[in-house]
Amino acid sequence: MPGPRTYLSPVLGACALTLACLGGSFSPAAAETRSYVVSWFSMATNSNDTDCGPGGPNPGVQIQYRKNLADLGYTPAQIEELVKKSQTGEGGEMFDILRNRGRMNGKPVSPYIYPATAIDSKWKAIVGKEAYGFNLDGKGEATKNGFVDPETHEKGVNNELYRAFGCYISMRGSLEGRPTYWAWAWGQLKDSQPAWLITIDGADLTKDGPVTVTFDRALEHLKSNVDGSPRADATYRYDSDPRSHNSFKGEFKGGVLTISEHGDFHMLQNPLVVPEFKLAKTHLRMKFKPDGSLTAFIGGYQPWADLYFSFGSGGIGIEQCITGDVPGLYWLMRKHADADPDPKTGQNASISATYYIEAVPAFAAQPPTPKVAGDAGER
Amino acid sequence: MRSFLSRTAAMALVFAAAGGLLACSADTSKQTASAPAAKTTAVAKDAVYAPRQLTMRRLSGEQYQNVIHDVFGPTIELGGRFEPDLRVNGLLAVGSGDVSITAAGIEQYDLMARRIASQIVDEKRRDMMLRCKPANVAAADDACAAQVMARVGRILYRRPLTQTELQAYVTAANVGAVKTKSFYSGLSLSLAAMLSSPKFLFRTETAEPDPDHAGGWRLDAYSKAQQLSFFLWNSGPDQLLLDAAESGKLNTKKGVAEQVERMIASPRLEEGVRAFFIDDFGFDQFETLTKDTTLFPKFSAQAAADAQEQTLRTVVDLLIKNKGDYRDIFTTKKTFITQELGAIYKIPVVDTLPNGAPDTWQAYQFPADDPRGGILTQVAFTALHSPPGRGSPTLRGKALREVLLCQKVPAPPANVKFDIVQDTNNPLYKTARDRLNAHATNPVCAGCHKIIDPIGLALENFDGAGAYRTTEQGARIDTSGSLDGVNFTTAAELGKAVHDNPNTPSCLVSRLSAYALGRPVQEAAWLEDLNKRFAAYGYQVPALMREIAESDNFFAVKPVETKAADAAAVPAKEAR
Repeated sequence: MPGPRTYLSPVLGACALTLACLGGSFSPAAAETRSYVVSWFSMATNSNDTDCGPGGPNPGVQIQYRKNLADLGYTPAQIEELVKKSQTGEGGEMFDILRNRGRMNGKPVSPYIYPATAIDSKWKAIVGKEAYGFNLDGKGEATKNGFVDPETHEKGVNNELYRAFGCYISMRGSLEGRPTYWAWAWGQLKDSQPAWLITIDGADLTKDGPVTVTFDRALEHLKSNVDGSPRADATYRYDSDPRSHNSFKGEFKGGVLTISEHGDFHMLQNPLVVPEFKLAKTHLRMKFKPDGSLTAFIGGYQPWADLYFSFGSGGIGIEQCITGDVPGLYWLMRKHADADPDPKTGQNASISATYYIEAVPAFAAQPPTPKVAGDAGER
Repeated sequence: MRSFLSRTAAMALVFAAAGGLLACSADTSKQTASAPAAKTTAVAKDAVYAPRQLTMRRLSGEQYQNVIHDVFGPTIELGGRFEPDLRVNGLLAVGSGDVSITAAGIEQYDLMARRIASQIVDEKRRDMMLRCKPANVAAADDACAAQVMARVGRILYRRPLTQTELQAYVTAANVGAVKTKSFYSGLSLSLAAMLSSPKFLFRTETAEPDPDHAGGWRLDAYSKAQQLSFFLWNSGPDQLLLDAAESGKLNTKKGVAEQVERMIASPRLEEGVRAFFIDDFGFDQFETLTKDTTLFPKFSAQAAADAQEQTLRTVVDLLIKNKGDYRDIFTTKKTFITQELGAIYKIPVVDTLPNGAPDTWQAYQFPADDPRGGILTQVAFTALHSPPGRGSPTLRGKALREVLLCQKVPAPPANVKFDIVQDTNNPLYKTARDRLNAHATNPVCAGCHKIIDPIGLALENFDGAGAYRTTEQGARIDTSGSLDGVNFTTAAELGKAVHDNPNTPSCLVSRLSAYALGRPVQEAAWLEDLNKRFAAYGYQVPALMREIAESDNFFAVKPVETKAADAAAVPAKEAR
């Protein structure tokens, strides 16, 4: 495993010191730990010119709104008048209509809170063949709607979230060319939620072999450099909250780290994206860069309703400025969800998803154990 | 706004006035009984006698702030900008005798004075600050105003106010009180006038005949008090020191020694030591230091501030708290660190404070085999002596020669070309050593580079922001070199070479004495004497400060050479 720096965690360091003091034997070479802090998080995107089919991606929000209004029965002339007024500041009538374009028992309601009451605009989804993802359903090439992963070239990988969102302009991009929505979202997240830490343990991380990968939240936010870039080599403390602790056995082989345990992944996040980020059947693929940083894809089945309501909570503001038609996202995820069917309705509650992560080297330490009144010595 | 008398005239007046202050003591007490053996090895007293001209030094911003906080408490906000200082002979302390105040500067001082004065008389503070209350807050009160102005004036002017001065300030307070119908507003106006007076802003000196040196002159007791306090504490004299001046104790060697011992034992000595090293190391240059944020993204404003503080903490901890050998600052593995610096040093620094709280300082010791050790390898030195986009063996070597070894390096010729040195992407010259070798083929350049580059190249493992590296453009960095005949291969070995270099302690003696006196000290005999004493004390800096502070030369002065017409321009009674 390439990497400029190896760091013995304070815990291991303390163990070594204690054993040395006790006269015990301890070989520092027996274990190596590297720690990282997540410095970018987004849906893994791989947009190209043809992946949305003829006509390209879905239109921008101003055209989407016209369609919303048309779906509500407004005539073209009425729509143009409403749009004109909204643009000249003579009235916000159009926005009042749009922010209440849901219909419940015939009465206008918020389509963001009640997305199923909004008319499905039937926005386009990805029809291209490539997407980053994992073989979550175990069917491989036999899976319905499987993609080809552009990095591994594996066929039959699942990533229906990308399919659902991929033709929204704000969600389009590549690993290097950040999608607008995710660039905005990460800009908010990194300064408003505790950082995520990745810790990799192995016998010798310069060689192939078994590893353990853990994900934890830190007590600190991500630290940034003067130019806004993530700061390498900063120190973070682990948050001991078990709701944000994940540990997976895995293997480092041929320059790629993958996990062999595919359990659940759960991290507290900012409600801006989703209050608790959850994946089932977690898959991970990680690579290390010569500068010491890493990139990773993490995938699994994600409850899509949680994801939707994070968009929905932003209302017309986020819809207009960032995402585009929010209820449209609901309909797209509902349509393309591919796991956890409801026993009665058959509607899938989860959707296959793959996220892209970048992380820079960090120091991660266990915080000092807080003293509790009543402990021995405190009385 | 017109400032005040010309400096020459003012100094001449001070000296002329001194002729009337002949109440000097003939006490010729010897050194204290506890004086170490080193003193007996010193050269004869007359051989080291070196009077200086009287000077009038402007308070530095730090000194101004220290005085205000000493007198009125640390919560007083200054809220202004000080005039730029002037570095002369490598020290701002020397330049402080060569600067005046511009019209714009006077406005800033006036602004600060008004702001400070308004805080002093503020309802929240006045009961704590002022020891009397007016009979009527809406009217003038002679007695209370006089009490306040006399007490504050003694501290700010570093001597008692003359009756004329006191009456003028009381009158100003009274007139202000009548016009504003507020005793405290009037007092505030008068205090502001005192705070913007040149008698506060400049350290004027008064001389008197020196009974220990026939025909010679020395500072009077109050001038001695301020000389001692600004040197040892970087602030004005406290009440005890002024009392010692008032009682005449400072006119005796014993009295001076008692005060010096008290001041050196005080925690405030740290402030004085810090002030010297801030000046000595040129840390004022951090104010204008910039780094290319693309190349050195970790070098934030906080990192720059922490870097200075790290070096100062290292020095203070070694020299004051541990009474260590000055030369060890170039080899010590002990330092202090923050999270901000930890990212540059690649050291884990666990803090326990919530997000957004300022970093805390933590003691840290580099492992024995760590390439870092001593202040030369700290971020403050390596980053300060580097241009914005790269490290610079030349600037670092020059700083080491000039600041730490007191060896003058000539300025480069005006027409010299730096293009090879500055091209850090040149595939032909991958490392700084390669580039400097190519540059030094020019014989005009070679002479100086020969003496500065070898020591600067030893620090090439530290980039322009002080981060550790082993290669440049993929080529391994060679840090070998020599310093005055001593070979080394690493930065740590360079530190040892500087530690062992005989110029290292003698340079400190030279610079510290110049800092104390406000002028370059060129009297070889006195410097030699101080060097011997410094060595005998195990190169302990507080001991050297004591030697300087107790020396006759610290107080010895000679008349200012000026035109008689200047001296006669102002009535002598106002000469202070």
